[in-house]
Amino acid sequence: MINKRNMATYGIALVFILALNFLLPRMMPGDPLMAIYGEDALIQMTPELKAHLVERFALDEPIWSQLGAYFWGLLRGDLGHSYYYNAPVSEVILGRLPWTCLLVGSSLVLSTVLGVVLGIESGWRRGRKLDKSLLTGLMALGGFPDFFLGIVLLLVFGVTLGLLPLAGALTPYAELSGLALSLDILKHLLLPLASLTLCHIGGSYLLTRNTMITVMQEPYILTARAKGLSDSQIRYHHAGRNSMLPVFTRTGMWLGRLVTGALFVEMVFAYPGLGYLTYEALLARDYPVLQGVLLMVAVFVLVANLLVDLTYPKLDPRASYAH
Amino acid sequence: MLRIEGLNVSYDSERILNGIDLEVKAGETLAIIGESGAGKTTLGLSIMGLLNGNARGRIAFDGVDLLSLSKDEMRELRWNRIAMVFQNDEDVLNPVHTVLGQVLEPMVEHRLKNKEEAEQRASQLLSEAGLSSDKFYAYPYQLSGGEQQRALVAMAWANEPELIILDEPLSSLDAVSRLEMMELLKRMGRGRTILVVTHDITAAANLATSIATMYGGRIVERGATPAVLYNPRHPYTRALLRSYPGMATGKDLQGIKGRMTRGVSGCPFHPRCTQAIEICRREVPLLVKYRERLIACHRGGIIPALSVKGMSKSFGSVKAVDNVSLVIDGGGTLALVGQSGSGKTTLAKAITGIIKADAGDVYLEGEKVSRRGKDFYRRVQMIFQKPGEALSHRLSVLEAVKEPLDIQGIETEAKRINRVKKVLEEVELSTSADFLEEYPHHLSGGELQRVTIARALVLDPQVLIADEPTSFLDSSVQAKILKLLLNLQEQRGLSMLFITHDIAVARKISDRMAVMLGGKIIEEGQSSGILASPAHPYTQSLLKAAQGNSQLG
Ligand code: SF4
Repeated sequence: MINKRNMATYGIALVFILALNFLLPRMMPGDPLMAIYGEDALIQMTPELKAHLVERFALDEPIWSQLGAYFWGLLRGDLGHSYYYNAPVSEVILGRLPWTCLLVGSSLVLSTVLGVVLGIESGWRRGRKLDKSLLTGLMALGGFPDFFLGIVLLLVFGVTLGLLPLAGALTPYAELSGLALSLDILKHLLLPLASLTLCHIGGSYLLTRNTMITVMQEPYILTARAKGLSDSQIRYHHAGRNSMLPVFTRTGMWLGRLVTGALFVEMVFAYPGLGYLTYEALLARDYPVLQGVLLMVAVFVLVANLLVDLTYPKLDPRASYAH
Repeated sequence: MLRIEGLNVSYDSERILNGIDLEVKAGETLAIIGESGAGKTTLGLSIMGLLNGNARGRIAFDGVDLLSLSKDEMRELRWNRIAMVFQNDEDVLNPVHTVLGQVLEPMVEHRLKNKEEAEQRASQLLSEAGLSSDKFYAYPYQLSGGEQQRALVAMAWANEPELIILDEPLSSLDAVSRLEMMELLKRMGRGRTILVVTHDITAAANLATSIATMYGGRIVERGATPAVLYNPRHPYTRALLRSYPGMATGKDLQGIKGRMTRGVSGCPFHPRCTQAIEICRREVPLLVKYRERLIACHRGGIIPALSVKGMSKSFGSVKAVDNVSLVIDGGGTLALVGQSGSGKTTLAKAITGIIKADAGDVYLEGEKVSRRGKDFYRRVQMIFQKPGEALSHRLSVLEAVKEPLDIQGIETEAKRINRVKKVLEEVELSTSADFLEEYPHHLSGGELQRVTIARALVLDPQVLIADEPTSFLDSSVQAKILKLLLNLQEQRGLSMLFITHDIAVARKISDRMAVMLGGKIIEEGQSSGILASPAHPYTQSLLKAAQGNSQLG
C-alpha cells in the first residue's frame, strides 16, 4: 500500500506548485497587478478598483502576508476574478469542467479499452495478418496530430455529409431535455471524441501489444497452456491480465492531462471545455483564468498520480511488496 | 502406459532429441537423469505437446499417438490425463493470481467441477501438499520456494491425471524442504505413473523405480534404480555419478573430460569417452538389452580393462594367492584392500608377471594374455610403494622417465624428450633443464613418487597397478598424489588397480573395492555399497578401525 513517505512527497509537490503559482507573477518585472491581470485589464480599471485589489492581495504588505492572503483565498476557492468573463475564475472553470471531463474522460476510457483489447489480440497473433494490419493501421493513425484528424472528420461527416453538428456541445437555444438532450449531447460529442480516441488508441495498443509479446514468453504462460486451458482464457486471464499493467500506469498519467489534453480538438470543434477556455483566455490575455487553469492542471496531475499509486497494487499484487 | 518410439525433436534445425525410445509402465516412476542441456525438459514438453520445435516419431499414451492428435484433442488431454510440475523458476505461477485460484482453475476450465466444488478440492489438495491454509489466497511472490513448489504439486494433481511429469521437483529447495518434498511426492505419487526429469541423483534415487540416463539427446542407459546407481554400466552414467556429490561414497568428485557438444556424429558421448573406438565416431550405438538393462554403447558399456581369473600362487605350503578372480573396469578404479601379508602384492606381481603364478589367467580387454612382452608392458604399468626402489639412483629425472620409451624403441630421441616433458607436466612437475638433470636423491618423497608415476604413464598404458603408492608419504602429499591419480583417470580414462591397507584411502579413490584376507577375496563390490553395509566381519573391523582413526584425528 501507499506509505507515508509517498504521501509526504505528494504534499511537498503540491506546496511547491502553489508556491510557484504565487511567486511567478510577483517576480515579473514591473507592477505585480499588471502581471496578475494583464495590461488590458489594468487600463480599464478604475483607481478604486486598483486600490481594492492591492488591498485584497495585500500587495503593499510584506511577502509573507501576501502569501497568507493568497492561501486564504485558495482555501475559500477564490482563484481571482476574470474581467473578460466578468465572473469569478473558479466559476468560469467549473462551468467548463464537465464538458472536458465528458470528452476527455470518455475518449480516455474508449482508447484504453480498445487499445488493450486490440493489443492483446494483436500480440497473441504476433506476426500474423491481423497483427500486421493493426500495427500499421494504428501506428499510421497515431502519427497524425489529433486536430488534423478532427479537421478531416469534421470535413467528411460535418461539412460534406452533414450528418453531425459542426461545433459546440449543445444545440444553442433548443431547450431540449431528457432523452433528446442526451442525444444532442452525444451527437456533438461524437466527432471530437472520435478524433481524440483514434489519435490515442495507438499508444495503449502498442504498449499492450509489446508487453503481451514479452508476457507470452513468460513461464506462467507455458504453465497455462500445459493446463489445457482454452485460448481465450490464456489470452485474457493469464497473458492479458499481465499485459495491462503498464497501460494502466500510462492511462493514469494521461488522466492528469485531462484538462489540456483536448486543447486543439476543442478548438477545432469549438467544444466548450477547458482546452477551449484556455484558448479563449490566451486570446483575451485573461491571466487570472490562465493561472487558474494552470493550477487545475497541476493539481490534476498530482491527483492522477496518487490514484495510480493507490490502485496499482490492486492490479499487480507484487507492487505493494516490491517497495 | 507411455511408449515413445523413435522420437526426434529439433528446434531450428538443431537436434535436441535423437531417436528416443522409452517405455513407462503404469504405476512406475521413471527418472530421467543427465546434465542440463541433455534434452530432459524437452522430452517432458514433447509429451505435453508444448514444444515449439518440430517433433517426429511416436508418443503413444494408452495406445494413442499424441503427436497425431488435433490441438483440441490435445488440450482436452492436458492436465486431465497428463499433468506436469514445472521446474520452479521465476514466474511458473502467474504472479497476479492467487495460489488457490490457479489450483482450481483447471478443474473449472475443464468443467469437472463448479466453482465451489473446485475451491473445496483445491483447498484440500493444497493442505495435502502441506501448504498452510492462511497461504491459500496468497500470491506466488508471497510464498517461499518450498511453498510455491507445494502449490505446483497441488495444481498438478488437481484433475487426477494418470501420468505426471516432474521437472526438477527439488531444485529450488533447501535441504530440509527437499526431504519433505521427497516424502510428499512419494506419498502423493502412489498409484500414479510418474516421470521425473532431473539432474539431481538423490531425487532420482529416492523417487524412481527405474532410471534412464540421457546424454546429447539420446537415452544411453536404462535399468532398475539400484542397478543403474550402484553398478552403472555406461561410461557416461558412471561419469555422471562420479561427478555428483553424494553422502554414500567418500570418493573425491571427478569431472568428465571435455564438455557436452551437440550434433556429434556417432555416439554422442564419444568426444568425452575414454574408451571410444573407431566405430564410435561413425555409428550411433543402439539401445539394446544387456543383462536386465538397456545400454547404448558399441562396446556393451564399460569394458573390463583387465581381468584375472582363478589366479593362485603358493610359496611352499603357504597359499599367498588363492584362486583369485578380479575385474578392473575400463576407466575405473578397483581398490584391493587388505593388511600386509594378505597377498595383495603377490597378486599384483603375478598379474604383471614379475613372479610367475601357479595357476590362473590374465585378460586384457577380454583377450587372454599368453606372454608378457613389450606389448603387455606398454599397456599395463606398475608403480610401487617405495619410489626410491623403482628409480635407479644413477639415472637423472629425464633418463628415468625416458627409459621405458627407449626400451620400447618408440619414435625419435627428440620426440621422446617431448613426451617426457609432456608427461612431467601432467604429473605437475617442472620441465626446466635443471630439474630434468636432477638425480633421485635430491628429490622429495612426493616428487619422487610423481617421477615414478610419470615413468609409468609415459607409455600411455591403459592399466596402472599402484601398490601402496602413498603409504610412505605424509598425508598432505598423499592427498595431492591421490588427486593427481583421479585427474589422470578423468583425462586419460586410466584403469587402476589400487592396492592399499588403508580402507580410508581406498574410499577416496575407488569405484569398486575388493577386500583380501589370507590370499582370498572375501568381499567385492561397489565401494559405496561396501562402505555403507560391509558384509564380512573382517571388512567391518577394517571399517571400524578406520572410523576410530578418523575420530582421533
Ligand atoms: S565406447 Fe563408444 S559407444 Fe560406448 S560410450 Fe564410449 S564412445 Fe559411446
